Amino acid sequence: MHPHCSIVPPHLLAHLAAVDDPRHAVAARAARRALVQLDPLLAGREEAFAAPVPPRTAVGRPLERRISDAGGQEILPGTLVRGEGDAATGDAATDEAYDGLGATDALFRQVYGRASIDGAGLPLAATVHYGELYDNAFWDGERMVFGDGDGDVFGRFTRSLTVISHELTHGFTQYSTNLVYEGQSGALNESLSDVFGVLVEQHHLGQTVDQASWLVGEGVFTDQVQGRALRSLAAPGTAYDDDVLGRDPQPATMSDFVITTSDNGGVHINSGIPNHAFYLTALHLGGYAWERAGRIWFDAAVGGGIQANSGFRLFADVTQEAARARFGQDSAEHEAVRQAWAKVEVTG
Amino acid sequence: MRVEISRSGGFAGMTRTWSLEVSPAEAEERWLPLADRAAEAPQEEESRRERDQRDRYVYHIVIGYQEVTLPESRLDEPWKELIERARRGSTG
Ligand SMILES: [Zn+2]
Repeated sequence: MHPHCSIVPPHLLAHLAAVDDPRHAVAARAARRALVQLDPLLAGREEAFAAPVPPRTAVGRPLERRISDAGGQEILPGTLVRGEGDAATGDAATDEAYDGLGATDALFRQVYGRASIDGAGLPLAATVHYGELYDNAFWDGERMVFGDGDGDVFGRFTRSLTVISHELTHGFTQYSTNLVYEGQSGALNESLSDVFGVLVEQHHLGQTVDQASWLVGEGVFTDQVQGRALRSLAAPGTAYDDDVLGRDPQPATMSDFVITTSDNGGVHINSGIPNHAFYLTALHLGGYAWERAGRIWFDAAVGGGIQANSGFRLFADVTQEAARARFGQDSAEHEAVRQAWAKVEVTG
Repeated sequence: MRVEISRSGGFAGMTRTWSLEVSPAEAEERWLPLADRAAEAPQEEESRRERDQRDRYVYHIVIGYQEVTLPESRLDEPWKELIERARRGSTG
């Protein structure tokens, strides 16, 4: 048996954990502890079954951020330099990471009612100043890690909020669908990170579909690179075009799907297709993208319909079903999702 | 002997390639045995930690007729040295 097996169903635990009556304080505390001990994947699934969660009813522990500093070495986690509620440190990377985790948690918690990436208030951990001239940002399964860049092509990765929210969304995906990081399922994993990555920024800045840049990683290139950002959801394939680095290789439609063995089968390349489908859905609906298009993608991600090895076609079906379930068969939302997937040639 | 290194993946998803020339003696002594071992080693069971990593780099290294693909998390110190040398020597 699973060591943390519990007979109380997780949604009930979640309800108990949220009780704020001193007479039930002991039960609430015990429920919170049990929730946290649940297998994270299972907890994510169960939380999904309890959806739809109305806004502002997130359960579990409140936001808790922990920023560590690797001091230029490739060692994790490094030294804790800023915990929740601590004053700004004055170190740009540390403070950008802290603020970025807060902005990401705000979208998931306030808009979608999900407490942290696992739905049970998991503390959010990040390490900055990783490695020497390290030109990457990644998710290691437990924390996000940011390099300072090589100073030649890339600057500090925390300069773009979308990089921070992209990495943290990998945590959300790990606890919801855990799409296998290879081929089409891997490209969907990447796409979810780009989609919620830009939504976090739009929500943070209060931007509508028309006002938003729809760019991922704006500002991480140095001045020496000819490019605005790393990826564009509005126009995949146009984010950069540089003499040395070449052109943004992302396709927007299935006709241009890239078959390759590098990059785990092009996970950062073919993500352009589902990215663009999301953009088209949001454009069709207008207003704030996180409210309707984002809600549909969130519902799809936590609804249990997506399998770890899902391809684009199944994902398209699940998002259409999510739109129908929340907004109705004849809704503009359902129609927007249907047209978007047809336009990127995933559905006929 | 020519060594070609291509790095794909990473947050940016950009493929970069670097190359360098090593003496046949150095290749025989240091790099070919290392590449042989990496290429022939049975695919070890991936740890859960490794399986959940996202946006990391993947290196593809070609030394003469031998080639090897290594995830960033499995780059040992000698490989890092070789990559560093290639990056320093390349302009692209
Ligand atoms: Zn990613």
